[in-house]
Amino acid sequence: MRMTPAHVRWLLLLVLLVLWEALPRAGVVPTLFLPTLSGSLLALWQDKAEYFANLLVTLNEVLIALIFACGGGVLLGLVIGASGVMRRLMLPLASSLFAVPLVVLYPLFTAWFGIGSESKIVFASVYGLLPTLLGTAAGVQTIDHHLVTVAASMGANRRQQILRVYVPATIPTVLAALRIGGALVIVGVVVAEMLTSSAGIGFLISRYRTLLDSENVFAAILLVLFLAIAFDAIVQFVERRTAGWQRSGQGTGDGASFA
Amino acid sequence: MPAATDGTVAVSSLSHTYGAESGEGTLALQDIDFSVAKGRFVSIVGPSGCGKSSLLMMLAGLRHPTSGEILCGGAPVKKPDPERIGVVFQEASLFPWLSARKNVEFPLSLRGVPQKVRTEKALHALELVGLKDFAERLPHELSGGMKQRVSIARGLVQDPQILMMDEPFAALDEQTRFSMGDELLRIWDETHKTILFVTHSLSEALYLSDEVLVMSARPGRIIDRIEVDLPRPRTFEVMSSPRFVELRERIWQQIRH
Repeated sequence: MRMTPAHVRWLLLLVLLVLWEALPRAGVVPTLFLPTLSGSLLALWQDKAEYFANLLVTLNEVLIALIFACGGGVLLGLVIGASGVMRRLMLPLASSLFAVPLVVLYPLFTAWFGIGSESKIVFASVYGLLPTLLGTAAGVQTIDHHLVTVAASMGANRRQQILRVYVPATIPTVLAALRIGGALVIVGVVVAEMLTSSAGIGFLISRYRTLLDSENVFAAILLVLFLAIAFDAIVQFVERRTAGWQRSGQGTGDGASFA
Repeated sequence: MPAATDGTVAVSSLSHTYGAESGEGTLALQDIDFSVAKGRFVSIVGPSGCGKSSLLMMLAGLRHPTSGEILCGGAPVKKPDPERIGVVFQEASLFPWLSARKNVEFPLSLRGVPQKVRTEKALHALELVGLKDFAERLPHELSGGMKQRVSIARGLVQDPQILMMDEPFAALDEQTRFSMGDELLRIWDETHKTILFVTHSLSEALYLSDEVLVMSARPGRIIDRIEVDLPRPRTFEVMSSPRFVELRERIWQQIRH
């Protein structure tokens, strides 16, 4: 049987997992730097109540920030992308903001919104909003306006042109933007939790690190990984269902994912 | 309105100026006058930029001329009316997210035709262009020629008496182009539609048409109308006949300047 790229990817993952278990066990790497996979999973299992409670905190922050970042990003992106004036006014601003390392603003957010969930939600929303906005605005501009004429020739009114042509034509780029924006929302929440907080997965990573409890640090990292992969899988699923016409048309189908 | 279904086209003193609202405009089309009898195949040729595509857009109700009158089937054309006039554009005019069948159903769904009737009509139109077996394919899974046949099916699905075609085969390779021409002649023969066909290929125009309207460079005017008296059914050999060469030369002399 020949190896497909998918097979190789799975094989690499398997090798990585085996090494993760074997190297610390054999004493090649100190367990303080890299605890065994089984040890980390065991730590996760033993403190499952605590992990679950903190996962809920993080999940809650991520979901609310996703709504703000993606909803706001898509909406603003559509408005800005569709109008030439708005594009000239706002796009340079948005792209320069995107270049600023926003994490430097986080201490400010904790001063304004406290160290609870609010500051994380605000920070992650801003963090994820910009790429979603930029991606959506770029997508709107790439719409083939010829198709709108085609629809008009068949008697489509303005409302039908928007719902039946503009909306389906923008779905692929909006989803691609959501994928990037959403991933950044997760990064934003976890980083914010690691910096200043009292709950959440990022908080656990930080706390266990100061206690030099590597097994629990890795247990928490595994949870973040799981969160990121789950989000990506959901977006990819939606992409396949709604935007298959574009993926296969442009050869972007074979992404680097394991899904 | 029974008059609206008889498939004639009449254009009288049509002129169009771009940017007319802001004073100095560009005169694009000047005093266009012609009429097409029901069931005729008429081509419009001319140098690029002569406004032949704009003219077709006006005939289809997608643009409004500065002055003049357009009657299709005896009634004025004010806005797109796919039940009266079907329009076929160049390649890449299919909605890439819809299957061939859904593309053909599109104009019907805009008017809220029930799904069952839509499917039935769409499959019938796809059968007419020989693509019934490809109904559920997405456009990117079809060849250029097949895509254009789907476009034709979409133009015909509401059974309009008039079909307007804007360089429909321009993006195809030469061989596909002529086999699509034969295909179109067969459909024309079966449906008795009036066809207005814009092209920049003189051979294509002469091969397909009953009549060729020749337009001048900007401002576009109709400078010649040629009755193509070549016998039908036409075959590939007709293009090397003396009469074909003579007509081709006559058009070429007028538009080369």
